[in-house]
Amino acid sequence: MAAADPPPLRGIAVLYPDIGEPYHSAFSKMIAGMEEQAKGRVTRIEIGTSPDKQDIASELRRQDVRVVVTLGRNGLKFAGNLDRSIGVVVGGVITVPEAEVRNFTVSSLTPDPAQLFARLQTFIPGAKRVFVVFDPGQNAWLMRLAKAAAAARGIELLAYEATDLKTALSHYQKIIAAMETGKDALWLPLDTTTVHETFVMPMVLKEVWGRHLTVFSSNTAHVRRGALFSLYPDATAVGRNLAEYALSYYAPGEPPLRSVMPLKASLLSINVRTARHLGLDIVAMQTDASLVFPEQ
Amino acid sequence: MHKRISMVITLGMGLVWPFAVMAQAVSDEDELALVFSEKATISLATGSQQVLRRAPSVVTVITADDIAAMGATDLDEVLETVPGMHVSRTAGYISSYLIRGISGGQTNPQVLLLQNGVPMYQLYRGDRGGTGRGLPVAHIARIEVIRGPGSALYGADAFGGVINVITKTAADMPGTEVGMLAGSFDTWGVWAQHGGKWGALDVATTLNVGSTAGFRSIVDADAQSARDTRFGTQASLAPGPVNTGYDAVDLGLDMSYAKWHMRAFYKQRSDVGIGAGINDSLDPQGRVRGEHIAASLAWHDPAFAERWSVGYVASFTHDTINMETPLLLSPPGSRFSATSVFPDGLLGSPSRKERQLRLSAYASYTGLPDQQVRIGVGHDDLHLYETTTRNNFRLDEFGIPQPTTYMDYQTIQPHILPQRRRLNYLYVQDEWNFARNWVLTAGARYDRFSDVGGTLNPRLALVWDVAHDLTAKLMWGRAFRAPAFIELYGINPVANGNATLKPETIRMQEAALSWQARGDLQVNLNLFRYVMNDVIHTVPNLAAGTGSIFQNAGSKHGRGMELETVWESSRALRISGHYAYQKSIDEATGQDAGYAPHHHLYGRADWRVAAGWRLSGQINHVADRHRAPGDLRPQIADYTTFDLTLRTDRGPHGWNFSASVRNLFNADVREPSLAPGTAIPNDLPMAPRALYLQASHAL
Repeated sequence: MAAADPPPLRGIAVLYPDIGEPYHSAFSKMIAGMEEQAKGRVTRIEIGTSPDKQDIASELRRQDVRVVVTLGRNGLKFAGNLDRSIGVVVGGVITVPEAEVRNFTVSSLTPDPAQLFARLQTFIPGAKRVFVVFDPGQNAWLMRLAKAAAAARGIELLAYEATDLKTALSHYQKIIAAMETGKDALWLPLDTTTVHETFVMPMVLKEVWGRHLTVFSSNTAHVRRGALFSLYPDATAVGRNLAEYALSYYAPGEPPLRSVMPLKASLLSINVRTARHLGLDIVAMQTDASLVFPEQ
Repeated sequence: MHKRISMVITLGMGLVWPFAVMAQAVSDEDELALVFSEKATISLATGSQQVLRRAPSVVTVITADDIAAMGATDLDEVLETVPGMHVSRTAGYISSYLIRGISGGQTNPQVLLLQNGVPMYQLYRGDRGGTGRGLPVAHIARIEVIRGPGSALYGADAFGGVINVITKTAADMPGTEVGMLAGSFDTWGVWAQHGGKWGALDVATTLNVGSTAGFRSIVDADAQSARDTRFGTQASLAPGPVNTGYDAVDLGLDMSYAKWHMRAFYKQRSDVGIGAGINDSLDPQGRVRGEHIAASLAWHDPAFAERWSVGYVASFTHDTINMETPLLLSPPGSRFSATSVFPDGLLGSPSRKERQLRLSAYASYTGLPDQQVRIGVGHDDLHLYETTTRNNFRLDEFGIPQPTTYMDYQTIQPHILPQRRRLNYLYVQDEWNFARNWVLTAGARYDRFSDVGGTLNPRLALVWDVAHDLTAKLMWGRAFRAPAFIELYGINPVANGNATLKPETIRMQEAALSWQARGDLQVNLNLFRYVMNDVIHTVPNLAAGTGSIFQNAGSKHGRGMELETVWESSRALRISGHYAYQKSIDEATGQDAGYAPHHHLYGRADWRVAAGWRLSGQINHVADRHRAPGDLRPQIADYTTFDLTLRTDRGPHGWNFSASVRNLFNADVREPSLAPGTAIPNDLPMAPRALYLQASHAL
């Protein structure tokens, strides 16, 4: 290299799992986004089920990397074993166990409530109330964000806690009975306790169809089954954001705040059959959507 | 705002942190499945909204993942799994797609095959011709098969259905990937693909090179065997193997920038064996060579003006067909009459060049309340522009070959002269959401041909969203098949062209129900009825023994159903299958029209055996194929085949492997030879058990 070049900027590393499709493609796109943002200075380290801590630590030292991005749960577990001086940005996960959160910046893949509510108001301008049932063990952090986002948009967020399926079902039944067309919407979050594919989804979808109620979800698979819309990760853009958070560790001044952030780099999926059933302007919705169901 | 939230969170962290470790260990995949639902990701992986203009219809979509799970190495293997479709063969072993019993017999232009919306066929016979062998599947993003009459949007030949093969764009294959294939019958192949950016352009390139000696199933009696009996010769090469080998080279280039999308393909097939012989006599020496070049440029602006989206497409294809080695229309020592003896056999070496230019523009308007109107126009200039006819024979007025010197008879008795067809068309479609849960789509297309006149083909579809889990459709449409050049202008006393031919027509009524029985179980039922008129086939001339000529002389009607189901039993197991029934009657004789199976049963299971391993099995049962009128042979036997594929699913940075066994139990699979069955009495034998291994790696 010529002597006049500035000293090489520091790079970041990404720890990613040996995972099958279709997630592998998604993670590959994230890594590509990271490389775009970090101008190629990304060290890729694949970690299997029993990664060698020494090897990886020495690789990081060799590459002079002081911050890593982990993708997936395995990566997160391994990150806990790293030297405390190495910054960690956690990506490719939805939730993070309490014990591990303190040291990391977490970029969750669950869609940002603010964006969900913005979309809701675009499609249904008269929407005033959003109902949601959630397990506080998984999503209390998200609901705090959601309440603030809803208030900022003039929406009343009615959130109900449920720690088991029976309570969740009971909440859903009451909610659906209380909902009014055009004014209310039901939000299905990423929550394994309360959003049960066999016991909750069929009942919810059937009831809302008959009464022309709006349901939107944080899970695009629900859009395929009839929810009006959802947001899903724009993997490449997520990668860019992860790299941005990571690189901020090198910036002078205070280290960045460690926190859990919902997904902002998202794409829209819609169900036009449901939209038609609700009498919405499908064409306007379709221009923004990246994924349209039903597929035909 | 972000900082404030972060502070709130940080404070909250000091209190009870709300995350709890889940009751059982949640794997990466379990959690990611919530966000990256397989279908959604695969749709993502297969690229942008490749939405071909569509009216509500009965559609089957096959993704790249489905293709890999089937272990398919060829487009035909994939199409066999479409409900209502059966892939049969001509004597030359060119594929013949039978949809719902709607079939040709000699040629196969009743299905429109598109690649990225551009028709892929040769004008001569209307089929894929010599380059039709082996369409590699590694670069296919998805295949859409639309059953039913599609001429209201796609014009000619969208008769029984439309097959659109969509190739991968740069978004579908980021980075570089290479792969190889080896298998039975000396099959091997290598492929490479790369997707990325070149400046501001998104570029994808693909390369596929391969070769196979082909299966060599035995034909025990051919047309020459019959002539041997008649003339006391011993020339027949039967019993002998069919020739299904070929070499293949495929290149693809896909570039997009803003509203522009350019594609170019080059496809070469050489050393192509001619199956059981172009003239129903085994031909071990004939080798065909075909080259196909296709280029298209599309521009699309979804927001051209308020409520308007517009676009246009220009495409150009060029085809060359010639014989590397002359075809042996009959073997050495064959005799056709007392005076007609061929010590070297009947040699034929036709060649043709075609070019097809298509221009079209379309616009979509959504300004009318609850309506989506689409209008399109187009101009096609189709030119079979160069032909040669090298033979060592000349056909006399009775259609009997007489020996002559081997030379080009283009000026004396060409097999066909250069011909040009121009057509202009206009189509309109309105999708009207006239009541809540009801959509009526009405459309029509008018085509005006320079050679076969004009034809108007309408279509109506009514869709009712009955319930949250049930959709009902009623469809009615008309479609046409434009006569192929061989039918119009072929010069061959045995099957002479007729320039006054009109298009074949079909009217079909369909009803369809789609039922999401449970979250994991989907059931579809389709019913159809059709009537075909002006069916083109050869009719003997009035003076007996003076050959035949193509005429619009047939009528056919049929009905049937398809029942399809998909059951996602668990995240690890997916079971799908269908049953198709059809019955078609030739009206002139009142008998079964023949060829296509009455019953077709298909089942497939995809099982994630363990992390990174997937096992797929499929069963295909083809039953009750009657003989065509005039064919007195006993009914051709039913057959059942099993295929098994085991593959890894790790995703690259390691290698991926796949091992596939096709026709595991070595069933004797045969496709019917043409009526009356005197030429190849024991039908066309297909491949025995075969093993294929594939490996791929991303760099």
